[in-house]
Amino acid sequence: MKIETAAHSDYTVISIAGEIDMYSSPELRDTLLALVKKKAATVIVNLKDVKYIDSSGIATFVEALKKMLAYKGKFKMAQVPDRVMEIFNFSKLDKVFNIYGSIEDAANS
Amino acid sequence: MESAIEVLDLVTYYGERKILKGISFSIPTGMTTVIVGGSGCGKTTTLKHLIGLLRPASGSIHIHGKDIATMDDTSLDEYRKKMGVLFQGAALLNSMTLAENVALPLREHTRLKGSVIDIIVRMKLDLVGLSGFGDFYPAQLSGGMKKRAGIARAMAMDPVILYFDEPSAGLDPVTAAGLDELILRLHQVFKMTVVVVTHELPSIFKIADYVIMLDKGEVAFVGTLDEFKKSDKTIVRTFLERRPEEESYSPDNYFKIITGA
Repeated sequence: MKIETAAHSDYTVISIAGEIDMYSSPELRDTLLALVKKKAATVIVNLKDVKYIDSSGIATFVEALKKMLAYKGKFKMAQVPDRVMEIFNFSKLDKVFNIYGSIEDAANS
Repeated sequence: MESAIEVLDLVTYYGERKILKGISFSIPTGMTTVIVGGSGCGKTTTLKHLIGLLRPASGSIHIHGKDIATMDDTSLDEYRKKMGVLFQGAALLNSMTLAENVALPLREHTRLKGSVIDIIVRMKLDLVGLSGFGDFYPAQLSGGMKKRAGIARAMAMDPVILYFDEPSAGLDPVTAAGLDELILRLHQVFKMTVVVVTHELPSIFKIADYVIMLDKGEVAFVGTLDEFKKSDKTIVRTFLERRPEEESYSPDNYFKIITGA
């Protein structure tokens, strides 16, 4: 798994590539919680190049969302691959996360 | 058809008695394979070999290319992390709540933080329709709920292969049908390889893509569900039409058995 962070004036994009699993998700958690600690106003997670996500990855996103909502931060997802979306739908997480077709859409919403 | 599991010439004994007599079969990746047969045919013994609980006397069991029959214990433990098992009696730990049962493999085998594990546990319980039951103990649940909780724990580590040993055993027909529906949905969404040991005809027809039939420790049939239904093999017809087997020994033989002659 590779994580790239790009800070913009009013939002931060976290682009993830590869597999988010039980072994790699703690690193993702560290990245997200560092932003939470700084009380980042808007975080957009770009999932375009994610090949696989397991429950620990999803739970890591849920935890970040919960912590951001506590200080009224915005946690958004963009370019969710179909395979991942199918799991979100089944787990009703499509109703939990704010999901957008592109980073631009997420940034402008 | 890519194989997740390749069993070749598997032989095993319980004491002097030969239970599996050199069975060979493949289990396709991403499908639901049902291992069927009458009581005592070797279904559960085969399953115990597939999950590495028993070591065969001879033969090989290649799972995703690796032979677990000859694997050392450390490698076998790694393999087990990628599979989930629902045992016949659900095998929940009675002194733990459902949430603690589901969390156990995650706490034992990963370095995930407690807060992440708690979310995974709630997700898994929700998957099997047990949201809100995390604080219940197994003794407070019905048979069907215990099975569902067992599935939640089996799925805790996101297995690539999920095994079920007689999932409908001891359940009423409606609860059993609900469990079949759950197995089907989990398989469709998570695309896992699912292996189910059962002798319940409604379950077989509902969930199977592929059928392996065992009889007296030998493979009697291997094929798709359609091929199974259409098979004209006597053993398959006997099973599908629920005909009792003929007496396997004569009165003279029976006399010898009970007198120990």
